[in-house]
Amino acid sequence: MIKVFHIAVREFLATVLTKGFLFGILFPPILIAIMSILMPLLMNKAAPKVKGHVAIIDATGEVAPRLERAFTEDAIRQRRDKRQGAMLDEAGVPKPVQQAAKSGQGEPAPSLTLKVLPIGTDVEVAKAAIRQDAAAGASGGKEADEVSDPRLALLVIPLDAVAPQEGKRYAGFDMFVAPKLDIEVRGDVEAQVREAIVDARITAANMNVESVRAITSRPEASTKAITSTGEKKGSEIAQLLIPGAFMLLLWISVFTCGQYLLSSTIEEKSNRVMEVLLSAVSPIQLMAGKILGQMCVGIVMLTLYGSAGIFGLVAAAMLDFVDLSNLAYLAIYFVIAFSLIACLMAAVGSAVNDIREAQSLLGPIMIVLIIPMMLWMPILRNPNSTFAQVASFVPPISPFVMVLRVAGSEKIPTWQIPASIVVGFISVGVFLWAAAKVFRIGVLMYGKPPNIATLIRWVRMA
Amino acid sequence: MPRPPQECAKGHLVADAIVIEGVTKTFGSKLAVDNLSLRVPAGSLTGVIGPNGAGKTTTIRMIMSIIFPDSGTISVLGKASAVESKDQIGYLPEERGLYRKMKVQALLAYLARLKGIDSGAAARKTSDWLGRVGLGDVARKRCEELSKGMQQKVQFIAAVIHEPQLLILDEVFSGLDPVNRRLMRELIDEQHRRGCTILFSTHAMYEAEQLCDRILMIHRGHKALDMTLQEVWRNFDPRSIVAEPIGEHANASDYLGIQGVASVRSSGRGIELALTDGAEGAPVMAALAVTGLFRSVSVKRPNLEDIFINLVGADAETLEGLKSDRELAVAATNGGAK
Repeated sequence: MIKVFHIAVREFLATVLTKGFLFGILFPPILIAIMSILMPLLMNKAAPKVKGHVAIIDATGEVAPRLERAFTEDAIRQRRDKRQGAMLDEAGVPKPVQQAAKSGQGEPAPSLTLKVLPIGTDVEVAKAAIRQDAAAGASGGKEADEVSDPRLALLVIPLDAVAPQEGKRYAGFDMFVAPKLDIEVRGDVEAQVREAIVDARITAANMNVESVRAITSRPEASTKAITSTGEKKGSEIAQLLIPGAFMLLLWISVFTCGQYLLSSTIEEKSNRVMEVLLSAVSPIQLMAGKILGQMCVGIVMLTLYGSAGIFGLVAAAMLDFVDLSNLAYLAIYFVIAFSLIACLMAAVGSAVNDIREAQSLLGPIMIVLIIPMMLWMPILRNPNSTFAQVASFVPPISPFVMVLRVAGSEKIPTWQIPASIVVGFISVGVFLWAAAKVFRIGVLMYGKPPNIATLIRWVRMA
Repeated sequence: MPRPPQECAKGHLVADAIVIEGVTKTFGSKLAVDNLSLRVPAGSLTGVIGPNGAGKTTTIRMIMSIIFPDSGTISVLGKASAVESKDQIGYLPEERGLYRKMKVQALLAYLARLKGIDSGAAARKTSDWLGRVGLGDVARKRCEELSKGMQQKVQFIAAVIHEPQLLILDEVFSGLDPVNRRLMRELIDEQHRRGCTILFSTHAMYEAEQLCDRILMIHRGHKALDMTLQEVWRNFDPRSIVAEPIGEHANASDYLGIQGVASVRSSGRGIELALTDGAEGAPVMAALAVTGLFRSVSVKRPNLEDIFINLVGADAETLEGLKSDRELAVAATNGGAK
């Protein structure tokens, strides 16, 4: 046992003390942190203030006056803040985080004016002004400076947009915009015109605008999740993302370390160190030590990333969305998942001469293992579907599926958790037995790489 | 010379360090070792010789329990298999390498710990050994920074650092330059003097002649010869006198007149006189000396290569293997003389 320990220690240190590992494990969180700081700054700097006027030919005479108030700077800013708040609410982002995000944003509101053109103005002439101003802006230089109030959009409201002819439906309206008009501004102008036309129609029908708006406003749902510490505002996105993050964490740590195990086994074989080692330890001891060492690497990764995730949730006041018992399950399923994948990697690594040969053997295995990633959403939406329940007992995908299911929104039958753990550990035993057989034969085999059928034959050999 | 019985792992005396009984090993349809039985006496320095593909490495790997025989039994240092006595065995395989990125001292300490030595002793022994072979200044270098000769010294240290009772060396001289061959011979001899049983395989038979006190010949998985070098010289005495005259050769017929000479033939720069049955070498040599001036006159020693061919027959494949071995030997000898 002490020899297994020595091998595990070497394997662990040989992996974690490399520049590649340190870079690989630290780079993603650092990159995310840098991006989260830099992106708002970059985004703010990147968006220049939109300035210009919107022209309107209003045949009804009812729409333009309603739009005058809609395009003041304050009105536009208020609408934008309301829209962003609604989006963050939908995503389940708590108010303190929203405030923090808001304070970092200093994007100026567009400065728009409304220019009412006389009824009967030639639309083509009015459109030409947009084209000319856009061309002058694009050319830059002195010409661009001269266009201090470019025409950004032209609205053409026909008479029957508010008062249709007898027996006909309400007409729409035409909107012509500058080619590079900011998409948010365009959407806002469009929405305001739409609202102004509807208001004009209500007035034309002798009804009270405020009353009709109040009657037809969409009722907002106030969803709250009942947690152990009380009621919290519910978030469907958070409920989907957190179990997904659990599985992703498991997947990344298992496969990163599995890959390390594969490459270190191939290295020992190609460097011809293998036989030197086998003179001191048995193949089983060697394989067990390597798996144990890489498992410790995986635990380090899991702990680092998991801790970072928990800190993030604490900072965002979203820790209540995580049931802490799920962390224990994550640890148990990590051991099962890693052991299963490590057996496959050790067996393949021992059988091949270089990483290229390994890829061809790993291809079919990877296709099976990608299933939980592909079916993440359906499993999460319906954790008790027949597929999800069956997959919970099929190694090597069972730990990934179970992590999704136990962290998911719907409660799964309690007996399935211990049952899947027992099945998982039995599978680990079988995988270890088979991998040890392949490892024992494979480590001393050089030359033509084996195919899957050969590996199965090795397993069946005494 | 064989040494007295050796202590095994638990202090019991064993007469034979290795006992192989009726071992057979096949790889697919290829029969690598066929019903092989042999004993390696404790304290001996035994050379396993045979051409490439004879089954030497397979036999050694079975002794080391790296692969297992299809049938038969192998006992090592009094145990049922090498698995139970791995810490008393040093092994330098034919396919040997090092962790390229690992530092020399750390690597040797690691391998020593795998052989059951505690960390403190492992570090101390590593420093001692590196100093002894002149590698003290590379202890903190990565293995990939070492020359091939240095790497081979490190590999040898890894095999002996735990002071094994049995040392198995597979093709230990292959790839070594003449200087390192000599060093390796000295290191092996030192281990032998310490009382270690040594089994080493080589396809270069002249090396076995130089180093071993016991010879084991394997050909196509069979044992062709198993005896001490003294017994080999005695049993395979070619009964010939070789002489190198100074100046022109005399006619062969002049030597045929010497009593006890059956035939005469030219041999390289000299002549070879075959003795008749019952004739002694000394009177023939004395009679030869009075026929002229000679640079050297000696009793011809049997050559392991000749013995091997006599024993197994000279098929084309074997001769080809031996030819390449001979070329290797000549190259090594010439290099060593420089």
